[in-house]
Amino acid sequence: MRRTAGPHTSGPAAARRTLVALAAALALTASGCAEETADPGAGGDGATGSAGGGDESGPVKMGVVLDITGAGASLGVAERETIELLAEQVNDEGGIGGRELEVIIEDNQSTEDGAAKATNKLLTTDEVHILLGASRTGPSLAMRPLAEQAEIPMISLAANQKIVDGSEWVFKTAQNDRVVLEKMVDDMAAKGYTKVAVARDASGFGEGIPEMLTEIGSDAGIEVTAVEKFAPDATDFTAQMVNVRDANPDAVLIWGIPPAAALAQKAYVQLGIDKPVYQSHGIGNQVFLDEAGESAEGLLAPLGKMLVADQLPDDDPQKEVVNTFVSDYEAKWDKKPSTFAGHAYDGFWIAVNAIEEAGTDPQALRDAIEATADWPGVSGIFTMTPEDHSGLTKDALVLVEIQDGGWTIAEGADAAGSTGR
Amino acid sequence: MPRLRTLLPYLLLVVGLVLFPLVASTNLVNIGVYVLIFTVAAVGLSLLMGLAGQVSLGQAAFFAVGAYTQAILVTKHGWSMLAALPVAVAAAMLLALLVGVPLLRLRGHFLALATLGLGIIVTVVVRELDYTGGTSGIFGIPKPEFGGRVYNTPAEFFWLLAPVVVLSIALAQKLTHSRIGRALGAVNDSEVAAECLGVDTSGLRLRVFVLAAGYAGLAGVFYAHWLAVVSPEAANFPLSVSFLLMVVLGGLGTVWGALTGAILVETLDEGMRTLIPQIIPGASGEVQLLGFGVVLVLVIILVPGGLAQLWSALVRRFRGTRADPGVAEDAPAALGEELDDLLAQADVPERGSPILQVRGLTKRYGGVVALSEVDLDVHAGEIVALIGPNGAGKTTAFNIITGVMGPTEGSVTVRGQEVQGRRPHVVAALGATRTFQNLQVFRSSTVRGNVMVARHLRSRAGLVPGMLGLDLAEERRTRREADRVLTATGLAAHADRPITALSFGQQRQVEVARALALAPSLLLLDEPMAGLSSGERDHLGEMLRRVRGAGIAVLLVEHDVAAVMALADRIVVLDDGVRIAEGTPAEIRRDPAVIAAYLGSDEDDDAVVHTRSGPAREGDQR
Amino acid sequence: MTDLLQLTFSGLAQGAVYGLIALGFVAIFSVREIVNLAQGEYAALAGLAAISGVAAGLPLLVVILLVVPFVVLVSVLIERVAIAPVKKMTPLVSIILTLGVSTALKAIMLLVWGPEARSLSTFPGQNFTVAGVSIRSQELWILGIAAVLGYAVVWFYEHTLHGKALRACAEQPVAARLVGISPRTATMVAFAIAGLVGAVAGVIGSPIYFASWEHGLTLGLKGFVAATLGGLVSFRVAFIGGLMLGVLENLVAGYLDSGYRDAVAFIVLVLVLVLRPQGLALRGSGVRV
Repeated sequence: MRRTAGPHTSGPAAARRTLVALAAALALTASGCAEETADPGAGGDGATGSAGGGDESGPVKMGVVLDITGAGASLGVAERETIELLAEQVNDEGGIGGRELEVIIEDNQSTEDGAAKATNKLLTTDEVHILLGASRTGPSLAMRPLAEQAEIPMISLAANQKIVDGSEWVFKTAQNDRVVLEKMVDDMAAKGYTKVAVARDASGFGEGIPEMLTEIGSDAGIEVTAVEKFAPDATDFTAQMVNVRDANPDAVLIWGIPPAAALAQKAYVQLGIDKPVYQSHGIGNQVFLDEAGESAEGLLAPLGKMLVADQLPDDDPQKEVVNTFVSDYEAKWDKKPSTFAGHAYDGFWIAVNAIEEAGTDPQALRDAIEATADWPGVSGIFTMTPEDHSGLTKDALVLVEIQDGGWTIAEGADAAGSTGR
Repeated sequence: MPRLRTLLPYLLLVVGLVLFPLVASTNLVNIGVYVLIFTVAAVGLSLLMGLAGQVSLGQAAFFAVGAYTQAILVTKHGWSMLAALPVAVAAAMLLALLVGVPLLRLRGHFLALATLGLGIIVTVVVRELDYTGGTSGIFGIPKPEFGGRVYNTPAEFFWLLAPVVVLSIALAQKLTHSRIGRALGAVNDSEVAAECLGVDTSGLRLRVFVLAAGYAGLAGVFYAHWLAVVSPEAANFPLSVSFLLMVVLGGLGTVWGALTGAILVETLDEGMRTLIPQIIPGASGEVQLLGFGVVLVLVIILVPGGLAQLWSALVRRFRGTRADPGVAEDAPAALGEELDDLLAQADVPERGSPILQVRGLTKRYGGVVALSEVDLDVHAGEIVALIGPNGAGKTTAFNIITGVMGPTEGSVTVRGQEVQGRRPHVVAALGATRTFQNLQVFRSSTVRGNVMVARHLRSRAGLVPGMLGLDLAEERRTRREADRVLTATGLAAHADRPITALSFGQQRQVEVARALALAPSLLLLDEPMAGLSSGERDHLGEMLRRVRGAGIAVLLVEHDVAAVMALADRIVVLDDGVRIAEGTPAEIRRDPAVIAAYLGSDEDDDAVVHTRSGPAREGDQR
Repeated sequence: MTDLLQLTFSGLAQGAVYGLIALGFVAIFSVREIVNLAQGEYAALAGLAAISGVAAGLPLLVVILLVVPFVVLVSVLIERVAIAPVKKMTPLVSIILTLGVSTALKAIMLLVWGPEARSLSTFPGQNFTVAGVSIRSQELWILGIAAVLGYAVVWFYEHTLHGKALRACAEQPVAARLVGISPRTATMVAFAIAGLVGAVAGVIGSPIYFASWEHGLTLGLKGFVAATLGGLVSFRVAFIGGLMLGVLENLVAGYLDSGYRDAVAFIVLVLVLVLRPQGLALRGSGVRV
């Protein structure tokens, strides 16, 4: 307050200043409007889309929004590495239809705000032709309306079906939560479990899971007897797991992503609970195995085939794609890819294939993505339709058991899901 | 000339805001949008921190409430942006009001951490409620649309925001130069003195707290429309920290600092995000935090005044110092008619009727009894002196009478109303004010500024008129009255000097003048003669007689026995917290108990009282 | 009933960690009237450093003997670098300063250890179940070590001459000088003790509560809330406050909704501050304004 409380500048001058500032502010609005009309770059609705779309010669711009830091980092980092790898491959082979591919990767810090901020930037500043991301459901949901308003196609790498439900412009590559639950329910029914306790991720990824499980499981007489939540960045799970234990279920479903999913698993075992555990397809990376350690032994999860590629029969149509990707990724990054890397692979190639076919006009590009059919990717065989913008069925999944700290196709599980179509 | 100087920044700002989107890259304009949004919230916080002296680590909570309210009204209830905006801002202000009433009783650390807690509570609540969209929040908030035009490019949104920012700054800046701003500035210098002049500090702080929340809510509204999504992150701690950083970097207490701070923080943010990974390979994530932390510490240690301090140092360097204009003319102290005019403003009852009645006043600190069962009466139109050896409890009695501290037992009645345990501004509103033994001038102000604060109760303009500039006539009057007081007390020549440029004796005189400016009916003076030259003493004595002549009651603590004997109508003697004598000067002079008390006095007592009330109060005010 | 016991027991263990951190707040506040917002970072730092030590193949005991003095040193360094140079320490300045330190520490941890939460290997022992209550051996370690250290700190401040003199430092520098403690030394000792309790809290807690770069803030805030229960000046109440807070949090998470766990501490904080502000007044000062 030292400077401002000075009594030199008393009432009159200060007030006059306020009035002038008011006038100036009004003038500013007017001039602002005038300038806008003079600015050719900004032309009302969907301006950004058409600005990029009209031009079919420059580089193809792909905007990628990933959870590179924060709670989703264990997903986003692998996805970034995948995109970098693939972009390099495409440009080494001359780009897309002779046009260079320019990939702009933004970190959303695993927040919805961050995702919206990054998407705004990509759409308005970089004027990208297509959006990829985000890694998790929440940030993807935050991106969706922006992509729709700008009428730019977007391919999310996350799981929750809400991301694409009823959307014209948004697609996704991770297996729907619904098909994952279907796969799980098959196994539960086969084993005669009827009471299931759910501990779910409190963020978008886990939203609606217990309800969906109740719905899918009703035919098999499966009911959800307890629901607990944990934040993606939570570190203490005692209270939730006590409640899970008290529900006395036949089986427990922990639905989350690492590290939380691993920490929850650990707390579960530490509390001495011995009911079988199912986890989601959100755990398909090394971080989960490292963090959960011994506590993960014996848990079951429907996962993409990539993690068990070496155990697939040779006639599996995905085997070649998966093996190529795994070896490319290992060569570049010196570690095994996660299933999330696979989601990024699928999203990237679906986008590139569509651009190759239809160019960068937003409408044509969108139509081309929707026309993707029988395309073998890492996470499954994709067939998009106007009704289904995620393109995978439960056949894309195998039930995997963790044994000796590694992924193994569960005994008795239907490895012949590989018939695919 | 001064008019141009004050307007120039606004002109530059407007020109800058108009031109920026035309010359800058879209990427920069995109950053600019966030700068403008955050500036609005930071302006509010800078008022709270600079003006009201309160630290809030929960500014993002109000930001989020504004954003969420707007998002809910627009997406779920189909309101237009403009219709929802005032409701959203009001919601943020309402929350501030609800939590402010209890929270603002707390000081310093506690308020800061309680607001931090508030931010976390808001984060948790919006995350858990389905109505607010759970963890994912609310998305699909449309870009603003006026007259069929959608403001969806960074440049358009920037221009839409620009007038909001200009207005935010101008209104806040005006507030700091209003009656309220002056009072709060005084509070920052000496809370106890401001209170004793009638400034209701907690009331004003609450208003500024609510106003700051309004600013944050407004920023939240634009944030929601620009991002198209509101998630619980908006209420979270990191955002509150960046608001704090903006205010501190820009310069505490300067409204313009909020803008420069916001620019700096956002560019630092962008810059460090790319720079740090280059310096430290493999760094990813919010590594810019490292820079923020280091910058915060360095700024506070090296330039606590932030950019504003650097700027004024620069300006001073080029212009040369003009801190002290010096004495205009060496005017002799003349007790003109102005003094009588001023004293006539005092609302005094009939001469001889009681103004102050103290009964059974007792103050204990743990086992130590500072005052014991003291009775005291002061009537209109008399000068009563309170004397006694050091440590007798005179200052304690003053503190209790004026509400600076509460008594353990006993009552204090000022003009028929019991005030013990009430706050000093309540006592001041009844017409009783005081000076301080250890000077309590408003150090960051001028002589006139000090006196103008004392006109607080004699003027009315509140927060809103002060911001809108509706207080012009009153401000002119206040200034004129202050000048009259200075003329009356012979200080007119010093009016424009910083108070700190004056000698100790002169500062004491300013304190007396300040107390008189309130036109009190009861004036309490704590050792007003200390440090004065003999000429100044005579002048002060003369002035007090005229004060008495106007029917005002004076209670005087003074060590100068000769002056007391000459001035006082009655004398009350305290020793060791007990009243040992009362009478006319002649009676007191002969009283054996008084003589014994003075001879047996012990120098060390003084030190004890000092450490108890002096430093503790200092610390308490900051 | 089993639930109640289970939740209470695991809450006590969590609360013991809060309690230790609360002691750190009181140690510093009672000497300098500074709320050290970096207090929680000490625990995170100790946890992460210990994890690295164990990963490097050192025995757990050696790791602890290395990590705790390291964090104490960091705390003292912070005092020397950031706190000591400030001449006029006001609440505003101290909050901004320690916030800056805390932020920088967090970022350094992010740079060194990356974003993921990790856990330290548990101390030796077997988990077991008594009357339906699962007891993790680590929880016994936490309770035991926290009790010993907490008691030692309380004893030091309440029963030794130096401890009492340290507490008196803020009010009666003369008394402190009499036993040979200058305000400067007192501040350094306070930061050392704060570092010590923070580090121990981090090491014993990280096997089950994990450690990550951003973990410190929440831990610190909860420790602060516990310390507030003791008016920021009572070591005893602060430690017990930590235990109570841990139990309360767990009960809310167990019986109401785990989502509200993090709000519990702050609702308690606001309630305490609102209902008992007089209990929070600075000692010995009757001045209200």
